[in-house]
Amino acid sequence: MVMSEKIKPGEPPETAATSSSEPVPDWLTSRLRRMFSDVMDEPVPDEFKALLKQLEDKERGS
Amino acid sequence: MTGHDHFLEQVTALLPALRAFGRSLCGDPARADDLVQDTVLKAWTNREQFQSGSNLKAWLFTILRNCYYSELRHRKFEIEDPDGVCAGQVAIAPDHDAKLHLRDLSRALQQLPVDQREALILVCATGLSYEEAADVCQVAVGTIKSRIARARDRLVELLGDDAALVAGPPVVGALADVDGATEPRSGGL
Repeated sequence: MVMSEKIKPGEPPETAATSSSEPVPDWLTSRLRRMFSDVMDEPVPDEFKALLKQLEDKERGS
Repeated sequence: MTGHDHFLEQVTALLPALRAFGRSLCGDPARADDLVQDTVLKAWTNREQFQSGSNLKAWLFTILRNCYYSELRHRKFEIEDPDGVCAGQVAIAPDHDAKLHLRDLSRALQQLPVDQREALILVCATGLSYEEAADVCQVAVGTIKSRIARARDRLVELLGDDAALVAGPPVVGALADVDGATEPRSGGL
């Protein structure tokens, strides 16, 4: 689990450090990732290909 | 012109991630795809504003998020649902229950305030850094961290039993050994 402690210059230091020192348990992270990758693995519906094609054609035309 | 073709190519490559982000935000596949369509159109219209070399994924997530928020605002007028109670129920995908605990996660996510939900998804599921997530949500990194901490606490509360299952139950082992079915709790559904 990435836990960067970088603080942007000019920003107040981290105040929630007490409860976020152990950010998210592994079981939760892996379930979130799986939920996400399950959708990513789905084929992209044709309507999107049509939309992109349409935009591409528009670009070529102008 | 080739630059623009390249832009569309990159957008195309990011469609799966956009669909996944949209779906985890709103919980509804069809609605999520509408959001992605809007996002692609807005991105294309404003493509001159995108600085090549910067993070296109984060830029597109920002647009999708804005689309989602403006849709939420419109919905507030349509449905008298100030607490988001109905919205949470509407948002559940009824035919996406092949994997029980994934659907439970989706349902649990919808119980979170939207700002906590998006912070958690951006950092834990999409692989954006805290800094990138903060840019997308236009808040400080510390705010993202505290939102994630609150989201985590709530989800652990909602899914805690499941978590014990996944991690392997510490005490119910004797029972589970009988037939290997590790299901101390199945009353949920």
